Amino acid sequence: MDTAFRKIDIDAYDEDAFLESELFEPDPRSPAHVLNDAKQKQTSVRSLLAKGDTAGALASALEGAPYGPGVDEAKNLTLQSVVSILNSTKSTEIPNVVRSLSQDAQDTLMKYLYKGMGLPGWGDVSGSVLLGWHEKLTEAAGTGCIVRAMTDRRTV
Amino acid sequence: MATPEEYQIASVPITSHTFNADRSQLAVSLNSNDAQIMSRQGQEWKVTETLSEHDKLITAIDWAPNSNRIVTASQDRNAYVWQQTTDPHTGRTVWKPTLVLLRINRAATHVKWSPLEDKFAVGSGARAIAICSFDPENDWWVSRLLKKPIRSTVLSVDWHPNNVLLAAGSADMKARVFSAYIKDVDKRPAATVWGEKLPFNTICGEYTSPAGGWVHAVGFSPSGNVLAFASHDSSVSIVYPGGPTIINVRMASLPYVSLIWTAEDSLVAAGHDCQPIVFSGSEAGWQVIGSLDDTTAPKSSGGASRFGASGVGRLNSAAFNTFRNADSRGQSSPVSGQTSTGTELMTVHQNTITNVRPYQSQGGSVTKVSTSGVDGKLVIWNVSNVSGGGGLVPRLSGMNIK
Repeated sequence: MDTAFRKIDIDAYDEDAFLESELFEPDPRSPAHVLNDAKQKQTSVRSLLAKGDTAGALASALEGAPYGPGVDEAKNLTLQSVVSILNSTKSTEIPNVVRSLSQDAQDTLMKYLYKGMGLPGWGDVSGSVLLGWHEKLTEAAGTGCIVRAMTDRRTV
Repeated sequence: MATPEEYQIASVPITSHTFNADRSQLAVSLNSNDAQIMSRQGQEWKVTETLSEHDKLITAIDWAPNSNRIVTASQDRNAYVWQQTTDPHTGRTVWKPTLVLLRINRAATHVKWSPLEDKFAVGSGARAIAICSFDPENDWWVSRLLKKPIRSTVLSVDWHPNNVLLAAGSADMKARVFSAYIKDVDKRPAATVWGEKLPFNTICGEYTSPAGGWVHAVGFSPSGNVLAFASHDSSVSIVYPGGPTIINVRMASLPYVSLIWTAEDSLVAAGHDCQPIVFSGSEAGWQVIGSLDDTTAPKSSGGASRFGASGVGRLNSAAFNTFRNADSRGQSSPVSGQTSTGTELMTVHQNTITNVRPYQSQGGSVTKVSTSGVDGKLVIWNVSNVSGGGGLVPRLSGMNIK
């Protein structure tokens, strides 16, 4: 059976198509501003990590995470910061760190965990570390947190 | 703790259920093109009549308590209004269908009678809501479409008590409040917190939850001054239109697909979590009170068998258990204490609850609610019977999220 018709972009013929950009509120910050924020975050995360404040570093990295189109560089920087925190946390500390996060931060962290799992071998992303965090985060925030990470179109 | 009334209506999913005014009869659709009218006979529900006119799956049913009319909506893009009449030949009372021309080109997804029962609203996949009212001159139901600014399938609708305003939840991640004012039917409505001048298709509000997600269910509070909606990001949002203040309660469990208000300060939501959850609060804040389901023990020895309704549901079937054991554990004979095998949920409903409805009211607040779901069960719960929020967490441990 010919299945080529399934590949036709039917939205191209629909004047009133529902666009990706209508799925979420755009970031009020400009892309340059977002990038600047991400760079500043990276520095502050490093200094917090140096002090041994993992929870503070993670909360700071996850706050105001870049989302939406046109901010790929900021997204990469933030992912790097988050991954470096995740990698440097002792596995016994994870439950406490996860519990100390706000609901917003927990949801954002879940998005980064899934993003990391989708990029095996990117930077120093390690599957086993991410799975360890995923388990503890799900215990603390429930399956609802996973559902939100999948539902939210503000992809990080 | 009193056990909820539990009925195994079918072994297939119940798409929608609705009771008549005195709760002696029940209309359900069992995932098919037909709707069944059932009557309570002792501890069981028996099919007394089948309403078959639709040629695709019925998606929603609503029974108007006072005018005793049933409306069904279906994927065949039609709605029928069913009315009891006396057959002139046989003298028997039958349900007579009247076709409603909805003028939509996609499936009808949800239907609800207005409080005065002179209109009903049909949500659809055609990015529109059909507001239908009866035209006595031509003796048919006519529909007017609410279209703008809906961007995707409408998943649920709910009427404001003033018979004019309508809330709709849609797959474009928005919950909206519209005016469904029809000149020939409605009197000029008094001003409400949602607006003063309300010609047809006025948009009184458009709300979304922070993480987005399809809006599965909407509901006006008894006074109509507050709106609640449940969306696919596992959260319930409560909207106070004055500010507007939107209170978003995020859940640790799976999303809800249906909700109703039980009083001005409390509501019940249920869905993929398989148990009805009670929320309570005010403009200052909302929180979860607990579950109507006692999830600390397996249920198979209780409810269903009590009524002798030997459930042929997926998880109750002896044959199914035999094969499952043979497959998963290499056992060829049924074992006692099935419930410890881990496939049975600790909730009464063994699958997603698709429908919550008020069952009994007293002094303006709902005292009992009924739920039906994919597991073919109909359960009637006492709203005051809330087990602590602790019931929410243990569920997780049994869910194998490793």
